Amino acid sequence: MSPAGPDHATAELERRYARWTALFYPADYRRRRGSELVDTYLSLASPGRRRPSVADVADLAAGGLRQRLRIAEDLAPAFQLAGLLALMTATALAAGWATSQVPARLGVVMWAPWLLAAVVHVAAPGRWYRRAAGLGVLATAGVVPIAMLTGLPRPPLSVLLPQFVLGVVALGAATRHPWWVRLMPMGAAAVSVPVIAGSAPDPEFFIGSYWYAAAVLPAAATALLIGATLLAFGLAARRDPRGLWALLILVTPIGMLAVVPLGAMLDDTGPGRPIIPTWSSMVIASVLVAAAGPALVSLGLAARRRELT
Amino acid sequence: MEVPLREPTFLILAALAAAPMHGYGLITEVARLSDGRISLRPGTLYGALDRLVDADLVHVDREEVVDGRLRRYYRLAGPGRDLLAAETERMRRNVEAATLRLGAAKTRPRLSGGLA
Repeated sequence: MSPAGPDHATAELERRYARWTALFYPADYRRRRGSELVDTYLSLASPGRRRPSVADVADLAAGGLRQRLRIAEDLAPAFQLAGLLALMTATALAAGWATSQVPARLGVVMWAPWLLAAVVHVAAPGRWYRRAAGLGVLATAGVVPIAMLTGLPRPPLSVLLPQFVLGVVALGAATRHPWWVRLMPMGAAAVSVPVIAGSAPDPEFFIGSYWYAAAVLPAAATALLIGATLLAFGLAARRDPRGLWALLILVTPIGMLAVVPLGAMLDDTGPGRPIIPTWSSMVIASVLVAAAGPALVSLGLAARRRELT
Repeated sequence: MEVPLREPTFLILAALAAAPMHGYGLITEVARLSDGRISLRPGTLYGALDRLVDADLVHVDREEVVDGRLRRYYRLAGPGRDLLAAETERMRRNVEAATLRLGAAKTRPRLSGGLA
């Protein structure tokens, strides 16, 4: 014969609530909140009840899911901010390369979608912008096989790789910011044209050459790093962590833009530090950046999860 | 915290404005304040409380152990009180504006109408 009485019923109900909580909620959250959550369910339960109601189980499932999604939800504004800064940089570079490389047709076809994305970002910042930025990412990646097939000169990988990574982050800018914020990528493009064109060699003699990218890209990395850092501190002063997360997300594109100086630091093939490092040093620098950037974001997320629970 | 506040969030802050409360106390107080219209479930309540604690609007006041289970009391923090006051003022103005217009509509003579 099974034991009866209100105490036994409560103990059974408590065990069942604890089991459902264990099923739906993340372990670290459960350790901190589980007992409190079960206590509240028990306080609300009618006397003699032995099983959680269907509505309570649904509530536990929804609460557990919300808790699991919460960290990603919190980061959405940070991805939007990082996306906007990445789009500004990508558009500025695309405008600069396009105008200083006018006769190199393949380059112009590749950079045009980025300028289109900046225009669409102002007019239709949602789905249409995401499509335009996606086209930019595809064009940046697709130019390599197209150049191989056609034999046309293409921008070097040290230019394409940062543009591709910036493009992927820029996909996050698909949101309805105020109109003056949406105009910023076009503004950045307008400012960059004279700057990049000024540092470019005479196109008549150096058509299709990107050697000046070794100076332009690290300058873009520095500008993006300084801009994102100032924004991060400004927002942090208002207790808004968006900027710090955006800075963390932007570590990968900033590192990719700075791959030439980073590669030069790794290059020990000769005395002193080379202006253009060896190909292998640049590959190692790119791989390190590609691993370190996402690892930093993952560490930040893990720390955030511990803080939340 | 996104404003205007959603009704359950507003009512949680309003319930805590009087005194610190634990989860069960909050659920019953929110139901009482809304005349039984809003009946929060614990999973929903703690999700809302997590967001409010993160936004520094609500703090943990104290903890007790009852029947071997943890019972945490929450209290309204300074920024939470300010936000609740601002939201109450915004809603009061809306109510005033609507009341005024409804009164004017009642007293205004009808300019057109049917024959009957």
